Amino acid sequence: MKAVSKQFSTTGIVAMAIGTALYAAFNVFFNVLQLPGTQLVALRPSVAIPMFFGYVFGPVVGFVSGFLGNVISDAISWGGFWWNWDVGNGLLGLIPGLAYRFVSKEDIFRAKGYITCALLSIVGSIVGMGFAAYTDYIFGYGISTIEEATYALFLPAAVTDAINGAIITPILVAAYASAAKGRARRI
Amino acid sequence: MSTRFIKYIEGESSIHKLDPRAKLTFIFFLVISLSLAYSMSLVIPLLLISLAFYSLARLPWSKTKATWKFILLIILFLSLLNYTTIVLLYAEGPLIETLTSPEVVKRAVTPVLKLLSLALATATLVFTTPPNLYAPALGQMGIPYKAAYVIQLALRYIPEFIAEMNKTLEAQMARGFRPRGGRNPIARLISIIPLVVPVTISATLSIYDIADSMELRGFGEERCHTWYRELKLSSKDKLLVALSYLMGAIYIALFIMTR
Repeated sequence: MKAVSKQFSTTGIVAMAIGTALYAAFNVFFNVLQLPGTQLVALRPSVAIPMFFGYVFGPVVGFVSGFLGNVISDAISWGGFWWNWDVGNGLLGLIPGLAYRFVSKEDIFRAKGYITCALLSIVGSIVGMGFAAYTDYIFGYGISTIEEATYALFLPAAVTDAINGAIITPILVAAYASAAKGRARRI
Repeated sequence: MSTRFIKYIEGESSIHKLDPRAKLTFIFFLVISLSLAYSMSLVIPLLLISLAFYSLARLPWSKTKATWKFILLIILFLSLLNYTTIVLLYAEGPLIETLTSPEVVKRAVTPVLKLLSLALATATLVFTTPPNLYAPALGQMGIPYKAAYVIQLALRYIPEFIAEMNKTLEAQMARGFRPRGGRNPIARLISIIPLVVPVTISATLSIYDIADSMELRGFGEERCHTWYRELKLSSKDKLLVALSYLMGAIYIALFIMTR
């Protein structure tokens, strides 16, 4: 939860890279777990990773980890990538990063912060996957009706990501808070 | 190390020899043109361009099989889905007539062709560009070196984290955790879920150590940064860049004129 300029410090740069690498490494495994009946929508418990990085290190870090992590994991698992799903995954990380506007610095590792984080993860899943699914429709990438965009892409992706994100992200934040306690210079 | 994971295929074709910057420019303008192309007659030239781009790379079939399986599955599935939803939702008049009308077939197939050209072009980029060139290419395109460095660092740490996942799983097993494994791929995947929290937390705690050691070596001190691999545009690269600009300009002009 830092100002934008601070997110480009060396720590911010490393946080972006580590978030990207973690998200990509987990996605490579989870990409195989695709939901039946929906195209390319994989069940990903790893969506919590960009959300967690966004919440702890700021929106830009969250966006970059989601965006680049998705590009790289797609490049590893089948060889290409689709830009609008990458931006959608970036938004998953960006929106929990906006938490610093709602909770004070003291509250981020307390109950109020965890609830905000869970709620923002749900909002992030809806906005991020909504962006990806409806840009697919607007630009006509693969689907041609708005009903398809809603039922085949948006709903399955947003619901599974919201459930995974809202449960796992606060757990990650809480685990990080207790692991970082007592260490110097950690947030 | 990351070369093992990213699907790069070594080769001597003309696409392999192109400067990554030229390829990135080409992909950028192809994405713009595809997004603006609204009718089938505008999508087909782009599909032919990306097919030519792919076939010029002369990638061996044995190494691209998995990609093609994935792409074909999507195409089949999406065309059927498009076709049925259009017929069910927008059917007017007798069913047999709508099923075979060229309008319906066109509406069902065009988006899939768009997706196919996008997939072909990005796959060619990934298959023909050595992973260690992405960061220098972006850095020399005028993107701030710190941003380019994010890619370099991320590619360097992916194998590290995959190794870390294995290590954590073994540590958990030594304490009595029995992941359900066997031959079922889904059960093996579910055994990864308990790893998300420990691996993420240990990686996050290491961020500060990595940042410290980078700062100790002077990272972020200077405003500019030179790259060890200096890329040079050959005449072929310049040709591709010029053609990409031309393609982008034509599609933007067509889009504005028909508005």
